[in-house]
Amino acid sequence: MTDAAAPPPEGGLDYRVAHLAERLAAGRLGELGVRLETRGDAVLLTGTVPSTECRDEILRLAREELAHHPVHSDLLVAGTSSPDHGEDLT
Amino acid sequence: MIRVAAVGDIHMGPESQGTLRPSFETLPDCADVLLLAGDLTRHGTPEEAAVVAREIKDLGVPVVAVLGNHDHHDERPEEVTAILREAGAHVLEGQAAVVTAGDARIGVAGTKGFGGGFVGRCAGEFGEPLMKEFVRYTRRCADGLHGALKDLDQWDCDVRIALTHFSPVPDTLAGEPPEIYPFLGSYLLAEAIDTAGADLAVHGHAHAGTEHGMTSGGVRVRNVAQPVIGQAFHVYNLPGRPD
Repeated sequence: MTDAAAPPPEGGLDYRVAHLAERLAAGRLGELGVRLETRGDAVLLTGTVPSTECRDEILRLAREELAHHPVHSDLLVAGTSSPDHGEDLT
Repeated sequence: MIRVAAVGDIHMGPESQGTLRPSFETLPDCADVLLLAGDLTRHGTPEEAAVVAREIKDLGVPVVAVLGNHDHHDERPEEVTAILREAGAHVLEGQAAVVTAGDARIGVAGTKGFGGGFVGRCAGEFGEPLMKEFVRYTRRCADGLHGALKDLDQWDCDVRIALTHFSPVPDTLAGEPPEIYPFLGSYLLAEAIDTAGADLAVHGHAHAGTEHGMTSGGVRVRNVAQPVIGQAFHVYNLPGRPD
């Protein structure tokens, strides 16, 4: 949870988004596949990640790094089903 | 008909164990070979490679792989390669392998590849040593792919497939921000494929890209990054040699 009494962190939102991207890549997730876009005062996360654990951790890190800004998530978890047909390359 | 299953960018970590195995166990019913187009791990650690190894061991179809940039992050690609080979996979870098399905001989030439961009919007071998080395590295990968495809010419294959992690064409990057295309692939890979000849090119790396593309020489290209295909693998049916 964000501490409402704490002052907002210094630095522009653009730079904080960039720092989040660096943190996602450098951390234990090694995540480079999430797109981070500013939408006014909010940040939108999109992309497909390997597991629900990854998705939840990314969202936790984003809310931590971007405290005082709304974080919207449209992250998907990669599908693991078998295809029911192949593509014919004639 | 030769049935080629392929997926890339499975990015396996400790909690991934078993997520793909149930689908992979259906492969003997629907495919003759499984191609893995790199980024099989998150950081390229031996522990993550062991997760992949258990996922692909004894599947009942041959497995042919290239590594991706994630598989290099821990700077132990040789260990990752050894662990995957121990599980029975062919792991290619500037090399070719022929696997058989009945009487059919399936040739696969592979390299990780690298970036640089596409014609008219690409990096050049000029200026600072780092910049020159960036382009030269891609050129070495492309030369390795070309040589491996030419090797397959000698080995009486029914089909020849180029397997890379980085993309040979911009078509399959559609959906990615155009500004990052130079980090997603290089025309040098497509030039190698068109010059040496192939029946299909398969790559990964571009999670937000699209599945279908073609080289300027007319070789079909498929981006099989798992986020793109949305499944454990896709299957491409190629005609074999006419009798």
